[in-house]
Amino acid sequence: MTTSLFFVQLINGLQYGLLLFLIASGLTLVFGVMGILNLAHGSMYMIGAYLAWYFVENTGSFTLSAIISAAIALGIGIVVEKTLIQRLYKRNHLDQVLLTIGMIFVFNALQSILWGDDPLGVQVPDALSGAVPLTEVVEYPVYRIFVAFLCVAIAVLMYYMINRTRLGMLIRAGESNREMVECLGIDISRLYTVVFAIGVMLAAVAGVAAAPMSSIVPGMGEHVLIACFVVVVIGGMGSIKGAFVGALLVGLVDTFASVLVPQLSSMMIYILMAFILLLKPQGLFSS
Amino acid sequence: MLFQKRTERIFIWVFFPLALMMPLFLEQNTFYVSKLTTIMIFAIFVMSLDYLVGRCGLITLGHAMFYGLGGYIFVMIAPEYDAVNFWIYTFYICAISALIALVIGFLVLRTSGIYMIMITLAFAQMTFYFFSDSIEFGGNDGVFIYVKPDTSLFGISMFDLDNPIHFYYLCLLSLFNTLFFFRLVTRSRFGRVIDAIHENPGRTTALGYNVFVFRLMAYVMASALGAYAGYLFTMQYGFVNPSMLSWQTSGSALVMSILGGLGTLYGAILGTVVYEGLHYVLEHMTEHWLLFMGALIILMVILFKNGIAGYLEKLLEKRS
Repeated sequence: MTTSLFFVQLINGLQYGLLLFLIASGLTLVFGVMGILNLAHGSMYMIGAYLAWYFVENTGSFTLSAIISAAIALGIGIVVEKTLIQRLYKRNHLDQVLLTIGMIFVFNALQSILWGDDPLGVQVPDALSGAVPLTEVVEYPVYRIFVAFLCVAIAVLMYYMINRTRLGMLIRAGESNREMVECLGIDISRLYTVVFAIGVMLAAVAGVAAAPMSSIVPGMGEHVLIACFVVVVIGGMGSIKGAFVGALLVGLVDTFASVLVPQLSSMMIYILMAFILLLKPQGLFSS
Repeated sequence: MLFQKRTERIFIWVFFPLALMMPLFLEQNTFYVSKLTTIMIFAIFVMSLDYLVGRCGLITLGHAMFYGLGGYIFVMIAPEYDAVNFWIYTFYICAISALIALVIGFLVLRTSGIYMIMITLAFAQMTFYFFSDSIEFGGNDGVFIYVKPDTSLFGISMFDLDNPIHFYYLCLLSLFNTLFFFRLVTRSRFGRVIDAIHENPGRTTALGYNVFVFRLMAYVMASALGAYAGYLFTMQYGFVNPSMLSWQTSGSALVMSILGGLGTLYGAILGTVVYEGLHYVLEHMTEHWLLFMGALIILMVILFKNGIAGYLEKLLEKRS
């Protein structure tokens, strides 16, 4: 592999990893705080991408579309938590798995009813449509770099929110001792609604961001969900820091595997995961 | 008595005679016969999963791996243009998948709960991609089986696998045997230890049982039976493809076993029949059957916790 190709793959891997982090962070946040394993998380990623397409078609502006999509996702998150997820806190993981599988079915059906099953595409917004030359022959699209920075910005923002704000304090408190938080007079169910809605919104935002980079197809949610599982399990369920490290690891391994060992590329991240779980059954940064 | 619960006895007396007579009514219509055969094959698979999840408390989202392996192992070891003996290959396939399950179980059972759900999924995905990316095994299209095995035992041919009615009875027999087998297991000393482990692993360890070994044995057994179901499925349609290994297969099997009533074993049959029945009806009513299926699953989780078998037992068991 030449140096420039290596470099491009490195950026590709980091960029994919950062996007994965954006999706996985919502999954791990919801699991860490609420103990809910949301299999429908990937569906929200898919819904985000479809919403982005729909509003770009209707408003013509990518920024506007992104804002509307995020707001709708937040709304979906609140409604789903209030009507369904709230009933599951005292149930076991199996019921959660089942209910969220049901949600995947519903979201997939809604997607097919509302937008059909043909692949769709979103144009890269004009302001970000160029490419940056890396060497004389290799260039890299601006939009992808923008997405990478967006993910980093959101990661920093989440770090700040969790460690420095009142909401973050409640989230951390809720993680370690739910009853105590309730005893101190905090409305824990409202906190849960907020956390779940944020988680859903993160997935949808990732979907919006990914929309111009990949084609929007049915089933894109499930594909991403499985990758997120790997990320979250490697990092340790419930740990945002773990999700960050795990996502970068998965992004890099996946990208380099497809260049170096193409015949094993789709298996590589699962091999990585099995390997890490054997060494540390609770993931790298388990709390 | 082997079948302790009244509900289960009633179910067996209603279901199996009905199933035995079914081809008489459907003789002209092989479509329904083969549809029912598929449902029964899948019920075997669901029952093996139900034993793992409901009786052992080992939640796996990767059971489809063995369903698919049942087919792929056949493709790997059987000669392409010669008819092999069905029973001998049943043994081979169960033995090989048991060996695979032994290795994977050894790794997987070190974890528990949510981690086990995910690592079983990871192994299943690994196998899925291994087969769907391989040129040798036909990638996404899978592999066709040109010659079906013959089922002679001691020189007497028992079933003709190309005849849908014969195959139907073979699967019905297998389904009954699976239920019978699992009942023997749950009533045995081994089964009681498994129940104890499900109830309280710590205490069972304190009683001197090696929890890990018992779990591993249960895992190997259920996986081998899951592979047998996959082998039957492959025999029915004459091909094997990666979708048998997909996580959706594991997921829907899990849904069926919970729908039927977790840990009840015969509930696996109920769950599979009801789920597949609904699927069939909804699919014919509307293009968007997934919407209703999803909504039904959600309602089911929220409204009844013990599945269909649990509901029936509430109606039929004598109050003590």
